Amino acid sequence: MNHEGILKTNTMNDIKDKVAQCFSSVFPNLRAEEIPSASQSSIAAWDSVAQVTLLSAVSEEFGLDFELDDFEQLVSYSLIVDCLESKLGHG
Amino acid sequence: MTLNQALALINSRKGNRAEGTYCLACGFEPLHLATLLRAHLLERLPDDRNVEVECGVYGDLPGNIQSAARLAACGCAVVLEWGDLDPRLGLRSSGGWSKEAKADLIAGCIERYARLEAAIVALAGRMPVALAPPSLPLPPIGNTIRAQSSVLELELERRLAGFLLRISRTSGVRVVERSRIEAPAAALDARMELIAGFPYTVPFASGLAARLVDVLCQPAPKKGLITDLDGTLWSGIAGEIGVDAVSWSQEHHTQTHGLYQQMLGHLASCGVLLAACSKNEMATAEAALARRDFFLSPESLFPVSANWGPKSASVGRILDTWNIAADAVVFVDDSPMELDEVQRAYPGMTCLAFPAKDPAAVWNLLGRLRDLFGKPELTEEDGLRQSSIRASAEVREMAADGGSSEFLRTLEGTVTLAWRVDSADKRPLELINKTNQFNLNGLRIGESDWQRLLERKDCVVAVVSYQDKFGPLGKIAVLLGSQLGPKVRVSHWVMSCRAFSRRIEHHMIDGLFRHCGAEEIEFAFEKTERNQPLREFFRAVGTRSGQDGEYRISRADFLASCGCLPHRLAE
Repeated sequence: MNHEGILKTNTMNDIKDKVAQCFSSVFPNLRAEEIPSASQSSIAAWDSVAQVTLLSAVSEEFGLDFELDDFEQLVSYSLIVDCLESKLGHG
Repeated sequence: MTLNQALALINSRKGNRAEGTYCLACGFEPLHLATLLRAHLLERLPDDRNVEVECGVYGDLPGNIQSAARLAACGCAVVLEWGDLDPRLGLRSSGGWSKEAKADLIAGCIERYARLEAAIVALAGRMPVALAPPSLPLPPIGNTIRAQSSVLELELERRLAGFLLRISRTSGVRVVERSRIEAPAAALDARMELIAGFPYTVPFASGLAARLVDVLCQPAPKKGLITDLDGTLWSGIAGEIGVDAVSWSQEHHTQTHGLYQQMLGHLASCGVLLAACSKNEMATAEAALARRDFFLSPESLFPVSANWGPKSASVGRILDTWNIAADAVVFVDDSPMELDEVQRAYPGMTCLAFPAKDPAAVWNLLGRLRDLFGKPELTEEDGLRQSSIRASAEVREMAADGGSSEFLRTLEGTVTLAWRVDSADKRPLELINKTNQFNLNGLRIGESDWQRLLERKDCVVAVVSYQDKFGPLGKIAVLLGSQLGPKVRVSHWVMSCRAFSRRIEHHMIDGLFRHCGAEEIEFAFEKTERNQPLREFFRAVGTRSGQDGEYRISRADFLASCGCLPHRLAE
């Protein structure tokens, strides 16, 4: 892997770590190993209020705004990470 | 505080003992405001404590206030927005902004304010209420450009001001000062309002939550201020340039001292004790204080201590005269050396520099003094405090000169025992929560708990007022407990230090035995760092702990040891 590739991998790992931290803050009962597979359908506490809180926490962490539609569509950890990678140009 | 910081703080306190519950009543989705309010409350608590925040339902502010009143909470933050007065003033309504609609929403405010007022007054009878007026901008429905106020906006503001003025006169209601909400961002988050019904940016919500907590959880106000004279209360050294040459005016470019004098006059009118402490000849200090152009009444300063000894020694004598603890006192001096000397002697005292040559810093100092001495409501006793401190000092001096029992009879005192509490009267609870020396156990009571205790069927409460030939002291003592048959158990008992040395505590226990027909009184006594005066009373009347550790005294033992009751009793 070249130098640019290592930087990109690290940045993507940073994104995942920060998103995981937001998940831990909003869903404190969620174990770390459960976070990568977490979705609205698998977590009972992930209601509409938690969705707004989670995306607000992620938004604050990365200093960016989500679109109105994102609040409907970003309903899993992997979708949020994918969206961030796309917004941050790491996709 | 960011949202992530708030969430982290809340998670870190998970599982800790809950200190209590606070309510957040608003018409929007409470979302981040509830989170940030809880986090700001947690910041005020020790690390091993927790707190809960209860919220209501979307779109029903009056209903949420009524629901809060039914909870056993420590306090309630009520957040009003324009949309609570009429949904057409919010972003989520489609009611239109026609001419007719505008007239209708102005008219509708009257009924809406009346409903809110009734709900808030009822809530304030149960717990302290911090009311935040609207922070969001009105929709752009004025006929003017935004830089110019429209009649419609001014009319809405006028009705709001009238409502806030009325409601702020209700005991227990504390209106948040809008301009004190510090936030690095505008209030409105239009995106979040449309997505989730939450109208604030996170930075603004954090600022609002911080101010709500400031207003709900106010520290005990300081009781007294000791001021230096030369270079602080006035410009110049009176002993060197003469008392006529010291100044505090705009004309002499020494107006900062004039502002400080006016501030002290204001504090005195609010019941704050003032004293002077100066390295000076007493005659010089008295001559300067007697100048007719002084902004502060010379009688407001008591005592005046002017000598060449260390200031910490003078401060000690002033504290003795006032009979209050150093941590309830602020000391102001322009000399860093004097501030340091007093601070070392009294680490708990708030020592503040007077920055005479820096008007902005003086302005900030005056604001700081407002915060240190400010209290939600003034009571009748605040107006009596200064004169009663002088009277108490005289009483102690005279009692020391001539035998106390005979002397106390010459005071022509009247002790008034009231066996019930007016729920609007904040003085009894204030006494319980700020008295340290004559205090049974140091236990404080929240406003909502106070109301609940008073509502108990077995509740026994006595509020004591006193006056003598030196004037009234006002309400100076409170006793709270419960009665079970021939036994009264006292859970709280406090008496102001202004009332010491008059045997009022003897009158109280005598009155309690008679009023309740009790044969025995049990005290929930706990030794504290400062309740030596109460322990001395217990020792004098023979109150002791039994094998079970409870302190009690029988009627017979009390009557045998109580000695003279020198005052007239009124009930």
